[in-house]
Amino acid sequence: MSGEARVRLEGVSHRFGDVTALREMKLDVADGELLTLLGPSGCGKTTLLRIIAGFERPTTGRVLLAGEDVTDRPAHRRATNMVFQRSTLFPHLDVFGNVAFGLRVAGVPRAEQRERVREALQLVSLEGYEHRRSHELSGGQMQRIALARALVNRPQVLLLDEPLAALDLKIRLDMEAELRRVHRETGATFLYVTHDQREAMALSDRIVVMNAGAVEQVGTPAEVYGRPASTFAARFVGDANVLPVDVLDVSGDEVSVALAERRRQVTCAGARGGPAWLVLRPEAVQVGRLAREAGADELTGVVRDVAFRGTGFQYRIAVDALETELKAEAPASSPELAVDERVTVDWTPSACWLLPRDDDARAAGGPLPTRQETPA
Amino acid sequence: MTGPGRSGLAGAFTVAGVVFLWGPLLVVVLFSLHSTAALSFPFRGFSLRWYEEIFSSAEVRSAAENSLIVATATAATTLVLGTLAAYGLTRTSSRARGPLALLFFLPITLPGLFIGTALLVAFARIEVTLSLATVAAAHLVYVFPFFFLIARAALDRLDPALEEAAADLGAGRWLVFRRVTLPQVWPVLVGAACLAFALSFDEFIITFFVIGPDSTLPMFIWSTLRRTIDPSINAISTLLLLFTLLLFVVTFALTSWSERRRRGSAEPLVVPALKDAP
Amino acid sequence: MLRAGPLALAAPAVAVLLVFFVAPLTAFAVYSLLTGAFYEVSGPLTLDNYREAVESPLHRTLARNSLLVGLFAAVASVVFALPIAYWLRYTRSRWRMVVMFLIIASFLASYLVRIYAWRTILGSNGLINSGLDQLGVIDDPLTFFLYNRFAVTVALVHIYLPYVVLVLYAGLAPLSPAYLEAAQDLGAGRWQRWRRVVLPVAAAPVASAFLFVFVLSAADYVTPQFLGGTSGGLLGVIIQQNMTAQGDYALGAAIAFSMLGAFLALYGVVALALRLTRLDRLRFVS
Repeated sequence: MSGEARVRLEGVSHRFGDVTALREMKLDVADGELLTLLGPSGCGKTTLLRIIAGFERPTTGRVLLAGEDVTDRPAHRRATNMVFQRSTLFPHLDVFGNVAFGLRVAGVPRAEQRERVREALQLVSLEGYEHRRSHELSGGQMQRIALARALVNRPQVLLLDEPLAALDLKIRLDMEAELRRVHRETGATFLYVTHDQREAMALSDRIVVMNAGAVEQVGTPAEVYGRPASTFAARFVGDANVLPVDVLDVSGDEVSVALAERRRQVTCAGARGGPAWLVLRPEAVQVGRLAREAGADELTGVVRDVAFRGTGFQYRIAVDALETELKAEAPASSPELAVDERVTVDWTPSACWLLPRDDDARAAGGPLPTRQETPA
Repeated sequence: MTGPGRSGLAGAFTVAGVVFLWGPLLVVVLFSLHSTAALSFPFRGFSLRWYEEIFSSAEVRSAAENSLIVATATAATTLVLGTLAAYGLTRTSSRARGPLALLFFLPITLPGLFIGTALLVAFARIEVTLSLATVAAAHLVYVFPFFFLIARAALDRLDPALEEAAADLGAGRWLVFRRVTLPQVWPVLVGAACLAFALSFDEFIITFFVIGPDSTLPMFIWSTLRRTIDPSINAISTLLLLFTLLLFVVTFALTSWSERRRRGSAEPLVVPALKDAP
Repeated sequence: MLRAGPLALAAPAVAVLLVFFVAPLTAFAVYSLLTGAFYEVSGPLTLDNYREAVESPLHRTLARNSLLVGLFAAVASVVFALPIAYWLRYTRSRWRMVVMFLIIASFLASYLVRIYAWRTILGSNGLINSGLDQLGVIDDPLTFFLYNRFAVTVALVHIYLPYVVLVLYAGLAPLSPAYLEAAQDLGAGRWQRWRRVVLPVAAAPVASAFLFVFVLSAADYVTPQFLGGTSGGLLGVIIQQNMTAQGDYALGAAIAFSMLGAFLALYGVVALALRLTRLDRLRFVS
């Protein structure tokens, strides 16, 4: 990261009464990047966004915008602008009045207002909509106007709070492309909140995976997907299988693990002996019809559920001697397996990932207490 | 706590508003318990003598009875007519819907003085003798819009799919109303009828013109106020206040209970009803 | 079953309102065009009553009082009620429901009891004077509280404030806190948020509450009788007297309908202003 961070959070914690919404958050948002806060509802991502916007004051910690401490500054005196989840276009103003709202409040001269509103509407491809009212717009158009209304003020950072969540899938996909284009064209800094991992991957330069008020992992979409830093990140991003294994021996990147009393091979850097979690993406799992007697170290199971997903089949497989069902995806070209059919389960050693496991974590069945941060 | 909702000034206004609204009423309650006839400070101690006085007054008793009769008749008629009208109007797409809703709302916009005087000349013209019946008829006109607005808001907010489902399962119109619609809205209807009762019980402005030789509690208070300063008015006022408060608690409880049952929030239907007013 | 089926259910209510509301008002309107005798009216049609209604100096004085009291009461109610409605709508206080309850409950407190309470409080022997006297602040009672327009206005605000609060609260209901946050996010401070968002959105309910209080105050005949004295009489009083003691139905009707005409004109002006500013029918999305 070069230069000063656009947004810097230093030890930000937030409590609502007895509930801790955020604990000791540390985060830098670089100039011009599109950073996504990704996590399930209640993980604190929206609270964090509202703290940066100035709607909430953190219980402890500092918020810096372009190096300046703005922690004590209310929302209307911060150079941040927000796109809300639901339409907040003012019903008593037309599109022009809405987009010009911030400029009017700031006392920008009329002529300049007109010019900048025109540019902003052009940016979101809605030129000529100046005199429409919000009820005359579609959901996607409303959010594009909200985007123009925020960007016209040239904020230090644009905050987007699940802006596509209320839209239909088809419009959502179009809006993603639209957001990427606007981000490219403006070079502005976007801080985006979502609970949709697919959306996060499609949009972001970097993703911050959040859980229970804390950061689980920061990294590019590829890093977060391919090398999750925790079982939570693995499960939340990409819906991976997370299986308990024991590392038997390590030679370089080649690791032998025991899974359900079978000895299997995994490729993973930096593994240590002892208990571990095996992270296995559904698309890395290979399922085949069991045609012969299974070998001693071969995994076998029964198909419990099949769903056709257009690009392929999605299976749930009860693996013998394993308590959890395994999720697997097979290409559409592969032979379809039937429910109750017996199958063999295999994977490419290089498509796996190992995470350390201690007994507490296994007992709790939850995310690991140790977290790694992937350097950005 | 931050956020745009925070406003110390609005809070101060609210406190001042509650004090302004309730202070004078509490003064009346306080002096209804005063041991002397004085309506001024210093306060000389408590006694129930004014209550004893009004309870032993035949005039007060008959006025209270008349008020009860009129209010009961008004509320019962309003409940039936208002429910039918609100149900009819919310379940039709007829073009008459708008004008009728306006007609049902109109009496609220007109000062009671106009309704009272107009009825006075009309009754005189067709030589109807003024009585408690004419009072009840006048009250019906006055309270109808209140009931109608609340009932219509409640019926409007029902999910039509429930009635369609019942019809789909073979229920006729009457059965749908009795088994599906009514169970969902009766608390609101009863609450609104209580409101109608309270409004009628306290009505003076119209009553003054259309009452004959009889008296109601407001009429009695009015004539006493005109004659003298009688501390027993404090006692009557307090009882009146307690009575309407009791009615209101029933209304409030019923409407907010039915709201909470409906969608997990408590907002008495008086408020949504106001939103729908044209 | 007929297609008009559901509508037929409204028939009884329509009949009642036609008989007891529309017909009497129509008759009353006709009366205003006839010549009044003692509790009687006779033809032919004439506008004399209206001439007298508008030209009599007494009526003019009372009309002026009605206008002033109506304006004061309506403005004071709205100005007082707006912050209360705002608080009720946006507070996160646990007292919210309690305050809501107290305000709606006070709406139902007896009309006459309120008037009586203010007479008790404002009178020369009343609570304020006796209280101040006890405290040694004054020697002679202050008489400027009662029997004037001020006393009438205070009582009328007391009577109609709860209603105004509820109307404005209902008007703010669709303006969720997110709109105010959006305004703040776009740089609007507290005053700007009021001026650019809250007041425009509340304009229509404010106008309707204003008209409501104005009309009911200006036409009140009981409050001025008890609190208005000689300087605080209102037009309603003279209508009431014509309809009862004077027995001049025709003149009473003419004054009443002149007043109604003035109300309608005011309503038209307000509705037009809202129309022109396009604040009359706001449509909230989401």
